[in-house]
Amino acid sequence: MKTLLKKLESWIVALFRVWRREFYVVFHDAGALLFFFALPLLYPLVYTLIYNPEIVEEIPFVVVDDSRTPESRELVRMIDATQSMKSVGYAASLEEARRWHAEKACYGIMVIPEDYATKIARGEQAVVPFYSDMSLLIRYREFLTTLTNIQLATGAQIRQEKIDVAGLASGSLPTSAVGSQSTFLGNTQQGFASFVMPGILILILQQSLMLGVTMLCGTARERRRRNHGHDLIAVKAPPTATLMGKALCYVTIYLPLIIYVLHIVPWIFDLPMAEHPIDAVLFILPLLFASVFMGMTIQGFVKERETSMLIIVFSSVVFLFLSGLTWPRYAIDYPWSIFSQLVPATWGIEGFVRINTNGATLAQNATPYQMLWALTAIYFMTSLLACYAQHRFFKKKKH
Amino acid sequence: MRADELRNTMKREVRRLTSRRIYLFTMVLIPIGFTLFFLSLLGEGLPLKVPTAVVDRDNSKMSREMMRSLGASELIDIKYQATDFQNAMDMVKSGEIFGFFLVPDNFERDALSGRSTSVAYYSNMAFFIPGTLSFKGFKTIAVSTSGSIVKTTLVSTGADEAQVGALLQPMVMQDHPMGNPWASYSIYLGNSFIPGVIALMVLLTTAFSICSEIKTGSSIKWINGAGGSITIAIVGKLLPQTVIFSIVGVAIQSILYGYYHFPLHSNAGIMILAMVLLVIACQAMALIFCCIIPNLRLALSVVSLVGILSFSVTGFSFPLEDMYGAIAVFGYIIPLRYYFLIYVDQALNGIALYYSRWYFISLLLFPLIASLLLWRLKRACLKPVYIP
Repeated sequence: MKTLLKKLESWIVALFRVWRREFYVVFHDAGALLFFFALPLLYPLVYTLIYNPEIVEEIPFVVVDDSRTPESRELVRMIDATQSMKSVGYAASLEEARRWHAEKACYGIMVIPEDYATKIARGEQAVVPFYSDMSLLIRYREFLTTLTNIQLATGAQIRQEKIDVAGLASGSLPTSAVGSQSTFLGNTQQGFASFVMPGILILILQQSLMLGVTMLCGTARERRRRNHGHDLIAVKAPPTATLMGKALCYVTIYLPLIIYVLHIVPWIFDLPMAEHPIDAVLFILPLLFASVFMGMTIQGFVKERETSMLIIVFSSVVFLFLSGLTWPRYAIDYPWSIFSQLVPATWGIEGFVRINTNGATLAQNATPYQMLWALTAIYFMTSLLACYAQHRFFKKKKH
Repeated sequence: MRADELRNTMKREVRRLTSRRIYLFTMVLIPIGFTLFFLSLLGEGLPLKVPTAVVDRDNSKMSREMMRSLGASELIDIKYQATDFQNAMDMVKSGEIFGFFLVPDNFERDALSGRSTSVAYYSNMAFFIPGTLSFKGFKTIAVSTSGSIVKTTLVSTGADEAQVGALLQPMVMQDHPMGNPWASYSIYLGNSFIPGVIALMVLLTTAFSICSEIKTGSSIKWINGAGGSITIAIVGKLLPQTVIFSIVGVAIQSILYGYYHFPLHSNAGIMILAMVLLVIACQAMALIFCCIIPNLRLALSVVSLVGILSFSVTGFSFPLEDMYGAIAVFGYIIPLRYYFLIYVDQALNGIALYYSRWYFISLLLFPLIASLLLWRLKRACLKPVYIP
């Protein structure tokens, strides 16, 4: 019993030694400082500045009016009055309108047919074709919603006139009685920054940690190569204590940064913010640990200080798609679904977006939270294996 | 002999490229691997069957009919029957559903007696694509059912059925998506993110291959081997990479436009030319950064920053016109933007080449600017200093 306690004591002492030494190492490495501080401090600002205008406004479209009636002009006026669309003029023909589109003077073409007013007057259905540019789907989406609303509004207006004229009945008819009410949850303004930023913030935390950790690992490896397999800066400690001590060091550095990334950045830009800030911080904690250990796992592939960047930078794009932020996770099939579950940011983004944007609690996100701790455990084991593998590698080289 | 020096530098570079495994990854495996990953992930291009729930407080013939039409929609999948609003909200917050449809108490009775009532639907916009799709699915059903209720009532009060039909939708906006009639996300995102990854890998590889010479001090040999001419040294070093990246790039294009039949409304040669110019422009951009900061770590950090921000600041997810002016200007100094604009004009919209002339010229400007800065790189190569 006593020896066990003694062992535990020396283990904890070793842990704290590693922890302290790692602080020294990090603060004397300009590269690691760049990843650990500049990246989480500046990237969120840059990204939010890009997307902060939130919505697409006044998308130019051109009208080909073959009807030339008060009704057709009224239709154009109605659309022009919306926030999202702006008519930039009348083209004589579809041919000319296409030329405007080629010159990027407009992103949509509305063709009002010759018989538009006649058909409405006759009580027949009038069809108005709208050609939209498909280069950016956000514009198409905006066109679609605006035009649907216009269609419903114009429809209701015409219907009411007809019913009044035909004397079918008066005001109390179900036309007005059965309505439908649409509510947007979470990101109520449908802003682009509000949608994309919470997810990006989590990805920045994971990737900056991975970059910093792998760079420190690569540097340690270069030191070992120079010194016949010995890292002169390293503290002598059992591998478990080394790994945990380092992880604790990085997480300690990141704790103040989390407050900045998760609370100050959204506050500056008026983005959706968590109703339960404590839950958000608690939720992010295992994400940090899992990211650190994931970085330490891949250290075997990082032979020098700078090569990690070549691989990790690109992986951000892959992780973004696997996370379900742009492409929903229910639509991701095997084998990618399995692969996505192994990435901390996947669970991090899923849970954090709900806690942050939907006002969910930690309890409602038990699954992602547990998965993050499970990943922490898994990557701790794999990083331990990577550690042993590297020891063996350098031992073999010596002989 | 200049030709000999150029040939020798190229030979030396080919040896370097083949001697390190990392180049195989950055130049071939990552770009092609990402393309295959992306295309298999996005599959059909639209994530149909969004998981949703319904709250049927009325439980009448009318509400059940509504539930049936909701169930038949291809956009949404009714996964759960929630008991009330709170129950459904909990499901949204725990991520089981992305939206729900609510029919209030006494809906049928109120609707038929002309008292005001309304169905309500909620879409979680914290997740854009499923939120939008569930909104679309719900809206279609809400509009068509309230329409059919109006119709039944009107007909029962003695109106002519055909006349009522036109009354329900007197005006229809017919939507024609040009070039991508399926509104497929796969086509849209594939044509922006895949070239983006190619551009990123070109930037990283170029900066890595130049600055690692300075790190190890082999840059002196490299320049001397080129007869002391930085131009020959650079051309000899980058040309083999240009060839490899162009072949990889065109192979990826043939996967997109040939195998997956993404819209290609122009001559294939134009897109191939655009790809080769994108590769050269990205190499030139990385070269510019290497000239300004001839340090491996810093140059890689800067090109990573530029490469990753390219995905956002070039404006193919959020348009440049709507960004703040001070941010939008950065979109114009990134080669990827011009490739994307050429793609939009040529492959997607199939308009005359004339309209894209400036984009081709812009891509050609990058190597020109880089050539003006080469003297700085030469100085750094001949007196290599490594700053960790």
